[in-house]
Amino acid sequence: MNNAVDPTTPVIALHGLTKRYGIGDAEHTVLDGVDLTIKKGEFIAIMGPSGCGKTTLLNILGLLDRSNGGDYKLNGKSVDSLSSAAHARIRSDQVGFVFQNFNLVPRLNVIENVALPLTYRGVRKTKRLQAASKMLATFHLSEREYYMPWQLSGGQTQRVAIARALVNDPSIVLADEPTGNLDSRSSHVIMEELSDIHKRGNTIIMVTHNPSLTTYASRVITMLDGRIDTDTKDPRAPINQIDTTKRRLDSHSEPTKTEEKAKKVSKKSTKTKSKSTRKGTKK
Amino acid sequence: MRLLLLNHIENAVESLRSNRTRTGLTTLGVTIGIASITMILALSGGATKIVTNQVEELGGNIAVVRPGETKPPNQIENITSPQSNAYATSTLTERDVDTIRGVPNVQAVAPLMVVSGSVRSGDQSPAASTVVATTPDLQTIVNFPIRDGQFIDTTTNIDTAVVGSQLSVDLFGTDSSIGKTFQIRGKTFTVIGILKPLNKPINYNNVDFDHAAIINLESGKSFNQGIAQLQQIDVKATETDKLPGVISTMRQTFDKTHNGEADTTILSGEDLSRPTSQYFYAIAATMTAVAAISLFVGGIGIMNIMLVSVAERTREIGIRKALGASNGHITFQFLIESLAMSIGGGISGYILGYLFAFTLSRSLLTFDPLFSWEIAAVTLGVSAVVGTLFGLYPAIRASRKDPIEALRQYH
Ligand SMILES: Nc1ncnc2c1ncn2[C@@H]1O[C@H](COP(=O)(O)OP(=O)(O)OP(=O)(O)O)[C@@H](O)[C@H]1O
Ligand SMILES: [Mg+2]
Repeated sequence: MNNAVDPTTPVIALHGLTKRYGIGDAEHTVLDGVDLTIKKGEFIAIMGPSGCGKTTLLNILGLLDRSNGGDYKLNGKSVDSLSSAAHARIRSDQVGFVFQNFNLVPRLNVIENVALPLTYRGVRKTKRLQAASKMLATFHLSEREYYMPWQLSGGQTQRVAIARALVNDPSIVLADEPTGNLDSRSSHVIMEELSDIHKRGNTIIMVTHNPSLTTYASRVITMLDGRIDTDTKDPRAPINQIDTTKRRLDSHSEPTKTEEKAKKVSKKSTKTKSKSTRKGTKK
Repeated sequence: MRLLLLNHIENAVESLRSNRTRTGLTTLGVTIGIASITMILALSGGATKIVTNQVEELGGNIAVVRPGETKPPNQIENITSPQSNAYATSTLTERDVDTIRGVPNVQAVAPLMVVSGSVRSGDQSPAASTVVATTPDLQTIVNFPIRDGQFIDTTTNIDTAVVGSQLSVDLFGTDSSIGKTFQIRGKTFTVIGILKPLNKPINYNNVDFDHAAIINLESGKSFNQGIAQLQQIDVKATETDKLPGVISTMRQTFDKTHNGEADTTILSGEDLSRPTSQYFYAIAATMTAVAAISLFVGGIGIMNIMLVSVAERTREIGIRKALGASNGHITFQFLIESLAMSIGGGISGYILGYLFAFTLSRSLLTFDPLFSWEIAAVTLGVSAVVGTLFGLYPAIRASRKDPIEALRQYH
């Protein structure tokens, strides 16, 4: 990207990252000493039960929130040492954020929403709108360019939010359940797009509840109660997919049919994790 | 920083348009304030221009001496406050007239003494009349157009008078009144000349000669225990480029003859043209107060609405920050919005101010308001300052919002 970083330095390095909310008796720890190293070009899927701190982690990674303890190095630099202007610069130049609740600007129409990140990179209006229009076309939203956010269906809103996150060609994509509202076909359209960005050498961190989508990832992390439970990259913690899924079933709502079906696929794929499996799932 | 001016302007206009009523009401304060300023400047400019034209017509070789301390020219105080010594005894005497006569390159000197007291003929006593006592030299300087008869001179009887055309009509019901008599403070005067209608109520002599009776200085003094109380001395230099020399010589001489006391003011050119009538001061002072108050109230209105707008759009601020907006971008976005409001108010105020100025000048005054780029620049500048001053705090407050806190805001 724009700053030449030693390829061996991890893009993201977390050390004992903690996040607590509330004070005194009401205090509760949401992230409890997260250690995580992410190299450039990884495609990471984060799974875990609701409320385990996935969104909180992504917010901290995207420099929207600050941790209470531990260390976060982005491109080898501790983020605490950077000014808020530098944070804004990083968000503008390197990060693409897909929010769990979409966060479209209600006053702006679809194309303006998608073009918004380019505004803060100083791209001229016509160029901005062209890029936004192209991005919307990849997500089959060309006919909705001039709709207002409240005129869209849930799935369309989600696709607009993704288009907006990807429009400035970010080197780090943070996607919080990007396919939460979508049918499997639309989900795969989006996953294809993310794979494409991944293939261009960018880093993707995606939260998902859908195990079938982990086939696109190069690494799967499961979280539990503010900690990293399993990590396919970590040899000391072998994956135990059934175990985590079971826990999810215990504490939360029943998985949908698609999830049930996908479970089998994901089990297989996380073991082999080869390109051929991925192609197999797509068809 | 990438400033994105155009984008912010578009954004501001869009946001203001979606709240038309609110925007309109908010800008009203600024509109009224700017309208008052425009009116003051246009009318004072217009009045100044008449006098400037008169002075230029005369060849630009006129200076006047007035009693009272020298005020630094070009200050707003000069326009807005009445002369501080309006009721004090004049510091100008006949001796000063003689002194000026002795200055080289002076062609003519005329003292002006405004006599208080009513003018009367039979049961007619026009209220708006003025009596001016002077010397025949005034005609050399002002060059009044005479309709009938002659100007006062040294050879005729001292109890003669020249009357303005309107005064003649008011007193005698006709403008051919040669030989008729009237009373000033009970003393009888004979009309020996009538001026043509001048229609110049504003001039550097501060006398509306259409409504004036001009008498000899000697007669004037007799109303004041033989002492000349001079409001002004008109001085005419032989040539335009001799005038600065004449003025500096006069200054030096006055310094000596007035014992070093700075109790006289010598005006020429631009300074001379500045309007001095009390009537004008009253309007200008009121308008200035209205302008100041309404600009302040308007500014507070803008600040208030901007704070509401920032609160309403907290979530949007969070989204924008998450997408890469810096604090500067957010500050600028909101500042542009308050500036759009204040400048919008400024423009409508400018138009409204000229509408008022024209209405006033058509109905009450005898001159047109002045159009100049300076007035446009001043009003624009003032409204921009108001917008910045009162918009800065809400804008900074918006930019300081923590992105994640802002994103958590629900509506
Ligand atoms: N501002 C806050 N104040 C207090 N607690 C908070 C706040 N934000 C999040 N939490 C708590 O932190 C925990 C983790 O929240 P988070 O949003 O990270 O969960 P998640 O893993 O993304 O869940 P989900 O899968 O449902 O999106 C939750 O228990 C939540 O109640
Ligand atoms: Mg979440």
